[in-house]
Amino acid sequence: MVEREVAIVNRLGLHARPAAQLVQKASKFESEIKLKRQNLEVNAKSIMGVMMLAAEMGSKILIIAEGPDEREAVEALAQVVQGKFGEE
Amino acid sequence: MTTLTVGKLLSEKREFFEFFPLLDNIGYEKNLTNSLTHRPGLALAGYMERFAHSRIQVLGQTEISFLLSLSDEQLEDRMRQLFSFDIPLFIVTKGMVPPKKFLDHAARTQTPVFQTNLSTTELITRLSIYLDSFFAPQTTIHGSLVDVYGVGLLYTGKSGIGKSECALDLVERGHRLVADDVVKITKKATQVIVGSAVEKLGHHMEVRGIGIIDIEKLFGIRAIRLQKRVEVEVRLEAWDDKKDYDRLGIDEHRTTILGVEIPVVVIPVSPGKNITVISEVISMNHMLKVYGENTAQRFIQRLSEEIARRRTTFTYLEADTE
Repeated sequence: MVEREVAIVNRLGLHARPAAQLVQKASKFESEIKLKRQNLEVNAKSIMGVMMLAAEMGSKILIIAEGPDEREAVEALAQVVQGKFGEE
Repeated sequence: MTTLTVGKLLSEKREFFEFFPLLDNIGYEKNLTNSLTHRPGLALAGYMERFAHSRIQVLGQTEISFLLSLSDEQLEDRMRQLFSFDIPLFIVTKGMVPPKKFLDHAARTQTPVFQTNLSTTELITRLSIYLDSFFAPQTTIHGSLVDVYGVGLLYTGKSGIGKSECALDLVERGHRLVADDVVKITKKATQVIVGSAVEKLGHHMEVRGIGIIDIEKLFGIRAIRLQKRVEVEVRLEAWDDKKDYDRLGIDEHRTTILGVEIPVVVIPVSPGKNITVISEVISMNHMLKVYGENTAQRFIQRLSEEIARRRTTFTYLEADTE
């Protein structure tokens, strides 16, 4: 199992479009991937779940992956978040 | 493009328009090129600027009584002017007869003249409807058209992807088949396209493994429909792991058929996936949008508001060193 904590850095937070990006990226991996914010944990491949997090700028989410490509999955998702989902 | 000659109009629609040719066999080979009619009042009065001479010219009571009011010389002069234009067809309404000089010039220039018992208004109404549909842009599309809850869904996709099976399943659930395999599409207004079956095919359908079946015979008259406005294209695709499918539904994808834009929904097909239920939802969601309710947009807007509120609270507390 691999974990990494990342901070949401884009101004609008984890709203619908970033959530969709994250989910689409996550769906490319075989591993089970979860996102956790405070005590709320959701499946990273479920769009409704990820949107439930409603993570605003400055908040931290924990990426947890378990499976054959867990390392790559965590790395890829962290990059999507740190790259501000292509927003400012 | 299909062409309509004066002779064809007469032979096919003589009774409908109550036509009677005043000059036998003259100008029957002329082509009608558009669906517009014109009342040449100003041209008869001698004003020939911008005279729409390529349209069907309709002479009503006003035009005929005006012609009768002219002196012989004036009439001769106007007729020379008028018939110097290439005019496809004159129609005189209410069973009236134009002056002899008019018919002489028409015969001289090989211009057809019909009489009708209809009133001018009635004739123009009937002509517009007939000609508009005759000249309407048309195309055929490989796909199936089904009326689902009153919304016309056009299924497209590769052969064998399951368009017919999907249509069949929808019919089984009480929806109505318009056309299968070949859909004839006609543009009826600037934003309206209407689909129907090709006459030869009717409501027959080919189902892999069964062969040709007749939907009307099998399911009865309630299962079919002759024509339906095409409102949403449903594109069926084989499931592709590498492709990203729409997850939110906030960006509306559109396609253009005969210059008319309609929404398109791409549905990946995989075993065990129930396209029929998805189709019913596509129809209902389309109706919701038409009635001004965009669920996806409202949902994500609420989410953005929630995130913004959290950010403000966070900033406030962070600055609070108390």
